[in-house]
Amino acid sequence: MNNDSWHYDTATDFGLSFLDRLRRCPREPDPFVYAARTVSAIAIRAAMRIYNRFEIVGRDNLPGDRSFVMVSNHASHMDTVALLAALRLRCVHSAYPLAARDYFDANRLRLALTAIIANVMLFDRDASGRQGLNHCKELLEKPGNVLIVFPEGTRTLDGQVGMFRRGIGLLVAGTSYPVVPCYLKGTFHALPKKSLIPRPSRVGLVIGKPRSFEQIEQSDSGAVQISNELHDAVLALSSETRRQTSRSLSKEAYQ
Amino acid sequence: MLQPVIHSEAAMSPSAALQSEIFRIFAFLTTGLLIVGGGVIALIRFGFAKNVSHAWDSYRGWLVMVPIISVSLFAGRETAICFFTLISVAAFIEYSRATGLHRDLTMTSAGLVGVIGIAVAAIVRDPQTGAPGVYGLFMAAPVFVSVMLVLISVLRNRPDGQLKVVALSLFGFVYIGWMFGHVVFLANARNAYGYLLYLLFAVELNDIAAYTCGKLFGRRPLCTNVSPWKTREGAIGAVVISALFPLAVRFALPEFSAIECVIVGLIVGVGGHLGDLAISVIKRDVGVKDMGTLIPGHGGVLDRIDSLLYTAPLFFHFTRYAHGL
Repeated sequence: MNNDSWHYDTATDFGLSFLDRLRRCPREPDPFVYAARTVSAIAIRAAMRIYNRFEIVGRDNLPGDRSFVMVSNHASHMDTVALLAALRLRCVHSAYPLAARDYFDANRLRLALTAIIANVMLFDRDASGRQGLNHCKELLEKPGNVLIVFPEGTRTLDGQVGMFRRGIGLLVAGTSYPVVPCYLKGTFHALPKKSLIPRPSRVGLVIGKPRSFEQIEQSDSGAVQISNELHDAVLALSSETRRQTSRSLSKEAYQ
Repeated sequence: MLQPVIHSEAAMSPSAALQSEIFRIFAFLTTGLLIVGGGVIALIRFGFAKNVSHAWDSYRGWLVMVPIISVSLFAGRETAICFFTLISVAAFIEYSRATGLHRDLTMTSAGLVGVIGIAVAAIVRDPQTGAPGVYGLFMAAPVFVSVMLVLISVLRNRPDGQLKVVALSLFGFVYIGWMFGHVVFLANARNAYGYLLYLLFAVELNDIAAYTCGKLFGRRPLCTNVSPWKTREGAIGAVVISALFPLAVRFALPEFSAIECVIVGLIVGVGGHLGDLAISVIKRDVGVKDMGTLIPGHGGVLDRIDSLLYTAPLFFHFTRYAHGL
């Protein structure tokens, strides 16, 4: 027996300051950050359920056993926490919402809050974003990770679902990662861009069937095709909710 | 057998601090040393035009640390206990990140529960005697933490790699949480200000004396494979200074005879060096240079309290044996 060597896995971010550690992704586990994230996740879930009458439809569509990508329309900061609320509580530490580096790393408080609460992965919106895509692929290759992507690239200003950029297509083209289209309803009204205090209006999340894009080749045209397909899938979920809501409303109105 | 001493009043409080000769003298002494130290650095920098960036970084760290420590000691027993526990927690986290224990969140958290358990044992009153701090629970803490850690492994029903994480967590708890816990528990002593201020001051003086003596006379290395820059001359000089220091501050240790003062000084002088080298061994084995970045100019919390870890329990038990706490 050789007692001279015992392998220590020193933290890969050892020697960095707390904020620099938060900038990295994936982050090394930290009992206090995990505790804060779990507590805030519970608080946010409870608050949204009471304050926004938050409801999730189609949670069974989430693949349970492997890494996947959640794709959704983007209208509000509430979107991220709403999507996270669809996951199991212990999964929030391995769910990575992609966040624009230029916006979320603009000041320390914003970075610390979003990294601790939402576990965001900072992502360059400009050309160097392609490196970030490789990083995302590495994450998806490990089991149990969830990537949350808003392919519009920014929050909508008019409430309409904008064009999906092709980055999401480049990420999943030719791979077997399941992509789950999601539609968030009411977050635009509850917490639009440039507003700070959420309104107590109804918020809902519809989770669609997962799909994968193994057959589509990794090219720009393939990426555009995937983005358009996902855009249509998300929009299709939106009409689904409208029908459901109107039916239940009309029942109430006429009974 | 030692009779427990019943305390009617806590020895530490803002009003007690203001009335305490010991607290006032140490406050003046520290402030004076900081001013003199700043003056010396400025003189070397501007008078002799030498590079003092390293000393200046270290000095700036002290400028932040000294007020925080003073305020927490001044505010009373509970704040002192909480403050020292925070240091303990930060040091344990640094240790767990260095050794890779942090990847096992449950074991890390269990170690932290032990560290906080020490604080609880120090802060509550003994149900039998009414004295602040439950000494028996404090001394038995490693038993309970061992039980807890092994129980976690059993409940996991998974043998792979468990001895490693249990061993890392238990050593971290005993060496950092429990041994530094002796500083925490000193806040319950009758002469809390005297013991705590003497210990903190003497340990830091020992470090500074070793550094200065090593710079001035250092020739032969002390322990090259562990800490290449320490010299025998520095160590001997520091032990001599530390052994004599309690005689200079006898007002802080009023019950101590001259011989006991020298023994306490030797504990600090020798123990301080051994503690420093012990943490160096861990750092070398793991392969890191500093344990963290929390204190600018000093590295991590564990780099700062390494000498205290070794010294505090020896000082604590010698004092308790000789005079009761």
